[in-house]
Amino acid sequence: MESATQDPPTTSSSAAPPVPEPIPPPAHSWPGTLRERTERFVSWVSLWSIEQRVLAGFGLVFLSIIVISIVSYRNTAVVVKNSRLDTSSHELVQLLGSIEEALIAAESGHRRYLVTGDESYLKAYRGLMEQMPEFSRYLQALASPSEQQQRITQLEQLIQQQLDIETDAINRRAMHGAEAVRHLALPGVAKRELDDIHRLIADLESSEQQSTRTRVLQSAGTTRGTIALLALGAVLQLVLLGSVYFLIHHDITSRRRVAAELRRQGELLQAANKELEAFSYSVSHDLRAPLRHIDGYAALLSKTAGESLNEKARRYLETISDSAKQMGQLIDDLLVFSRMGRQEMLHSTVNLNQLIRTVIHDLRLDLQGSSISWTIGSLPDVPGDPAMLRQVFMNLLSNAVKFTATRPKPLIEIGATRDTPGEVTVFVRDNGVGFDMQYVNKLFGVFQRLHRNDEFEGTGIGLANVRRIIHRHGGRTWADGAIDQGATFYLSLPLKRTSS
Amino acid sequence: MTTVKPILLAEDNPRDAELALAAMEEHHIADKVIVCHDGAEVLDYLYCRGTFKNRECGNPVVVFLDLKMPKVDGIEVLRTIKNDASLKPIPVVMLTSSREERDLAQSYALGANAYVVKPVEFQQFISAVKELGVFWGVINEPPPEGS
Repeated sequence: MESATQDPPTTSSSAAPPVPEPIPPPAHSWPGTLRERTERFVSWVSLWSIEQRVLAGFGLVFLSIIVISIVSYRNTAVVVKNSRLDTSSHELVQLLGSIEEALIAAESGHRRYLVTGDESYLKAYRGLMEQMPEFSRYLQALASPSEQQQRITQLEQLIQQQLDIETDAINRRAMHGAEAVRHLALPGVAKRELDDIHRLIADLESSEQQSTRTRVLQSAGTTRGTIALLALGAVLQLVLLGSVYFLIHHDITSRRRVAAELRRQGELLQAANKELEAFSYSVSHDLRAPLRHIDGYAALLSKTAGESLNEKARRYLETISDSAKQMGQLIDDLLVFSRMGRQEMLHSTVNLNQLIRTVIHDLRLDLQGSSISWTIGSLPDVPGDPAMLRQVFMNLLSNAVKFTATRPKPLIEIGATRDTPGEVTVFVRDNGVGFDMQYVNKLFGVFQRLHRNDEFEGTGIGLANVRRIIHRHGGRTWADGAIDQGATFYLSLPLKRTSS
Repeated sequence: MTTVKPILLAEDNPRDAELALAAMEEHHIADKVIVCHDGAEVLDYLYCRGTFKNRECGNPVVVFLDLKMPKVDGIEVLRTIKNDASLKPIPVVMLTSSREERDLAQSYALGANAYVVKPVEFQQFISAVKELGVFWGVINEPPPEGS
């Protein structure tokens, strides 16, 4: 006989796919012995990054918890179904008892009637006749499908037969009197059918008891399994929680460590910055005084003794003066450069068109007598420090003016392009003396010059300043050019504010 | 006005002082210049004490003040002058090598009347000192005595 649990469960879990084996390691796809496979798996895993390993571990634990949950759900569903079957089985047994009782009562009642003709003895029989359809419906409802159904049908047939025989005897007694049924009254009619019915009911009952026992055993097993699985699930969840705690704790600790390190570095940097500030302050104060004296006394000397000095001596004095002035300029430029690095940046919006116009206006002294033709494209507004950006274009434009001075038709073009989203590229192009691209990396360095001083004046700080300022604005600088074919200087500026 | 009011030059560096005097000489205002070599001396002069105990009292027409000086520095002198009601009207011109924003801001905050950075180039230095001397010593009308 079949046990009820082998039927497909009627709950929604029946839609779930077959339960997979928990924890399927990826190593399955490799051939070889278990040891080899394990070794390969370990070496494979060791190639992963920490994040991948953590993710894989969590994935595995998570998958196991899901599998455990599904299996537990199905097990519980089985137990619930068994208990429902138990209830109906119990009801069936009770019903069978009632039917049997009623049959016995009806049979003995009808026999008394046959003997006495007293209609009151037919009460049980009539009651049974009335109740029979009801019993029949209950039986159909409670019977398990399959083989019990067959027995129930048989039982109903037997009961019907028994009742038919009894009805027949009762009718005969009513029409022909007690003599006609005397031979029936004492032994009773349909004794055989009644015995069959007893046997059948006993069969049914024992079969139900058998099923119930099987189900109880199955339920107990399933419950044990479920408890074990749930315990495993709880352990896995604890592992998961523990790992999460460990990871978070680890993360927080390392973050704290990094923050402390950053703070320490910041303090060091601040101290270094202070020192640098003091240094440049002292340079600006103390280095300039002797230069002023050199130049001053040279001038005084040439004034007092100028008449008596020869050409050579006057030239020497001039050289002394020039050198002192040049060094003064160098110091000033260096101070500006160092100030650019630590000065607080103002954050405002700069109208580049206007800025360029102002710078060209400021250069008018240098531009006297020159025939530069300017081409100025449409330039955008950019976020930045107005004074610093002014310094940038002052340097770039005065460079362009300086290096086109030897050209018969100097051209300077300023424009902007937007090739990269979120930033603008501004260029300053000239047709001046240009430079050799092999030295392009030196262009933006401090004190790096590509021309001799007697060719073009300069301290070699201008472009370094440009680069420093543009970097502080979050942009980049680059250049291209060729000897005698002009140069183009580019700078990119972000269109959204970035901190420096 | 019986006596010409002097120009007070506070300059610790004798060479700078000499150059400044040379510049003023060109405009014949050097004879009005009194040179002090540190901040303490400036205060002694202004308060008629120490070596200036016997001078004829009265405020100078202008004070040219260097920032970096021994004993008492320029900022301290400036603070003293501007906190003293009788000295406060004296115009004070900072004449210094420093272009530092901090010095500029502090000087103006304390009430300096002008701030001039000494140019390295002698010609520029001469013209700067000359113009300063002429403007403050000749053109500018000083505050009335006793105010």
